[in-house]
Amino acid sequence: MNKAAVGGGGGGGGPTAAAAVAAAQKQKTLLQRVDADVSNLVDNFSHLVNLARVNDPPVRNSQEAFQMEIRAARMVQAAESLRNLVSELKQTAIFSGFGSLNDNVDRQVAEFNRLEEGSERLLEKVGEQAAANLKELEAHYYSSVLRSSQGDDG
Amino acid sequence: MSGGMSRKPGDWVCRSCEYVNFCRRDSCQRCGEHKLGVERLDYTSIGGSWDVKPGDWYCSACRVHNYANRPSCFKCGASKDDSASAIASSWGFRCDTASGAANCSSSWKSGDWICSRTHRPGESSPASRSKAMEEGGRRRISIDLDRLPIKRLDAIDEIGNEQFPPCASFPLICLLTDVAGAPRPELLPPCRDVSHEEKRLGMIRRIDFSSIVADSVGTRKKQKTTPKEAAPAPQQAWPWQGFVENLQLAHQELSVIIDLINTVEANDAVAVSGMQRPKQLPNETLSDLAVSAATKLQRLRNLGRYFKQSSKALELKVSREARFYGSLIRLQQHWKLKRQRVLAGPGSDGFSFDLLDNTSSDTTMLSRPLPNALVRIVRENAGLLAIQRPPKSFRCISISYTGTNFSSRSKKPLKGNIYNSVENPQANKKEALTDEDVNSWVKDTHSVLREIHQSIFLEQVFDRVNHESYCTSPGIHVTGMLEDLLQLAVGQDTSICMSLVSVKKEDDFLDSRGLSQKGNNGFTHSDSSALVVNNEKDEFNQNNLEVPSPVGLEIYLVHIFHKNSLVRLKEKNFSASRVAVTGHAATESCGLTHFCKTVAHRIFSTKVLAEIERLVSRIPYVQLLSHPPWHSRTSSWPQIHTKIVVKDDQVTVSGEGALGTLCSFGISADGSSMDSYGCDLDDLPLILLQQIAGQIIRWLHDEALIVGMKVSRDFLCLYLELDQGDMLGLVARVDPDDVNGCISWWMIMEDGMADDGKFSTNSGEYKNRRFLGHLSLEALYSMLMDLVNVSTNSLGGS
Repeated sequence: MNKAAVGGGGGGGGPTAAAAVAAAQKQKTLLQRVDADVSNLVDNFSHLVNLARVNDPPVRNSQEAFQMEIRAARMVQAAESLRNLVSELKQTAIFSGFGSLNDNVDRQVAEFNRLEEGSERLLEKVGEQAAANLKELEAHYYSSVLRSSQGDDG
Repeated sequence: MSGGMSRKPGDWVCRSCEYVNFCRRDSCQRCGEHKLGVERLDYTSIGGSWDVKPGDWYCSACRVHNYANRPSCFKCGASKDDSASAIASSWGFRCDTASGAANCSSSWKSGDWICSRTHRPGESSPASRSKAMEEGGRRRISIDLDRLPIKRLDAIDEIGNEQFPPCASFPLICLLTDVAGAPRPELLPPCRDVSHEEKRLGMIRRIDFSSIVADSVGTRKKQKTTPKEAAPAPQQAWPWQGFVENLQLAHQELSVIIDLINTVEANDAVAVSGMQRPKQLPNETLSDLAVSAATKLQRLRNLGRYFKQSSKALELKVSREARFYGSLIRLQQHWKLKRQRVLAGPGSDGFSFDLLDNTSSDTTMLSRPLPNALVRIVRENAGLLAIQRPPKSFRCISISYTGTNFSSRSKKPLKGNIYNSVENPQANKKEALTDEDVNSWVKDTHSVLREIHQSIFLEQVFDRVNHESYCTSPGIHVTGMLEDLLQLAVGQDTSICMSLVSVKKEDDFLDSRGLSQKGNNGFTHSDSSALVVNNEKDEFNQNNLEVPSPVGLEIYLVHIFHKNSLVRLKEKNFSASRVAVTGHAATESCGLTHFCKTVAHRIFSTKVLAEIERLVSRIPYVQLLSHPPWHSRTSSWPQIHTKIVVKDDQVTVSGEGALGTLCSFGISADGSSMDSYGCDLDDLPLILLQQIAGQIIRWLHDEALIVGMKVSRDFLCLYLELDQGDMLGLVARVDPDDVNGCISWWMIMEDGMADDGKFSTNSGEYKNRRFLGHLSLEALYSMLMDLVNVSTNSLGGS
């Protein structure tokens, strides 16, 4: 698993070997859980199919019917526990995936810096444009008919 | 256990399905087989009918009555031909070799009878009979008669009525008594006593063989009668012949009955060795199988339904989880996600976003605790993230002017619909969420988080502002303070008030006019809205020119503090020297000061600009060139080389010195000896005009010098020397309030004689003063030329 490899690699490089051992142990536990659940599913299903034949005495049939129900419930339980396992894994990935977290942070920082520079430049441009426009406006105004007519009056 | 019902001796076993039937039934209950003996048509045709046929034999071991055709006993299996002695011994016989060897076989001939006394199968031949009789004659005849109501039946008709012959057994008894001699009262016939035994036996008798017995009796009768008739004559003299015959007949009947009873007893003595279901007909087997199969199928279907249900639920849960974690991961790329170990409350999984930006704030400055920093995540119905917004989470700084009739500016919430969507996300969409929904959801959540983040930052800014206002520094004049509000005085007559306002929904109509009409103290409260009703735009526009817009102010304020925090952060990151930090901090601690001064400056400079523009608009030949610098505190307007620099409430008018040309004719860079005057706003126009006029005069002076006249220049006058010592003066009169133009010119003639010296302009009655009016530059120039010509002419003339 990636997470474990990262954890193992980080653990080996980082603190101690004990952390790496702990990570490997955790990985093994998870794998065991997965295996147990999957084998549960398969076994129960095969038993279910076996129990599905029709026997002669009705007592046997109702026995088998109850057994079938139990197997089905066990299967559903196994599926539930698998789902819980998956969400656990996701949680661990979210909170302990340090590599990805750091990457995220760096990327964010770079992005924001870029944005900042962009806005600075934008502001400068805006200012320059405003000044240029103002100068132009003034030139036009003062050389315009308005002013000259006013001057003519004087 | 006999099949759950008591088995009476009359019950019979069906021969094909072995089912025990009641005796009253004529046909088997299960399979319909008729009972044996019901059809009396032909006994011989019905094989295996239970009757006493010639050849039937009794088993030696178990004394069971066997049919003649059986080679061995059907019960115990012993063969038929066991030794007669064994049989005899089991029966308690004495084997009489003389007569019994030939006769004492186990075959039962018709007419055989068992001597009741000796239990010996007697012969029906007269010889044996007579022997019996002899024996009976030898011994004392003590016949133990049980209480057998022996009645000889003639026939049984179909209904079941028994027809008895006229009493035949009585002579038996009577004969006995006769034989015995003394009457024995106990031997009297008890036949009329209808006891249980009698009933049983009566029923037994009714079963099968009554007619057969009748037949056999009949045949015996016939046989007897024939020998009787055959030998009536020799034996007629024997008076007991009839008696003997009757006795024999009775014996026969008795023997038959005893046989039957023995059989029944033997059969009764049979223990139930095993219960056996009656053999099922094939359709019964099949129907049983079908029922079981159907039941199993039903169960399987139920299971199938259960599986489908749980799979649907599982799928739902899985998709919910996937969406939740997916959006969590996406949000984590931008925000700091925390997990709580303790479950904080119902509905939350213990995840939360930490929005507090701890890197840029000093711990000492956090006077205001920020409970809003931790935003909890709750799980929605469909598995989407929902953020539990802390109360009062959206707040922003709003700045308003209290001096003016101006209310706070409008601020729409950035994402107005985020409130609704957070609360009722699924009201509209009940169907399955698609990816776009999730995407838009994530975006919305991002926006919400960003808003909360912003508001947190703004709160921090306000906090710092408050802090800085505590320290007295020039430029900060705090005039009022509330919990969420700070009022500062800037400039001479305006004051702004900064407040933390919560941004509410758009449809809250709160009266924002009331803000500004609360007296001149102008304490406004922060719970009121930050929205502006639209018809206040006119006011806004009116006031636009006078004061810088509050939006700009807010942005500027936030910008200042942001810069501060960032700079501080960078300082922390990149330099470890404490000195730099503290020094920098010291300089930057007065961010508020900076802000206030800037605000003041801007207001002031706006006023200055207004004045200047007013001036410029009246003088036709003066142009204003704005030269906005990039420093926030200085604005300068160079105009006709009069540079007006406004710097922090101080106007500096710097004009050029003696030399220099006017801008309208060209720009010369000669600018030595700049005179600069500091002035304030009220004197500004006058000084400006003076400057302008001075420059014009200078220019004229230069021109005249070029031409060659003798001119001299005073402050605002130009003196031209004419001949005869006449001086012609051109005086500029500056008047800022003059509507037509600010600079007007007077021509003054001065005689040499008049030694008033100075010109006195106290009255305009001098004849030698002429008002020229407002002249343009060209007019002035041409006038100057004319004057020059005049003077030269005069010079030349004289």
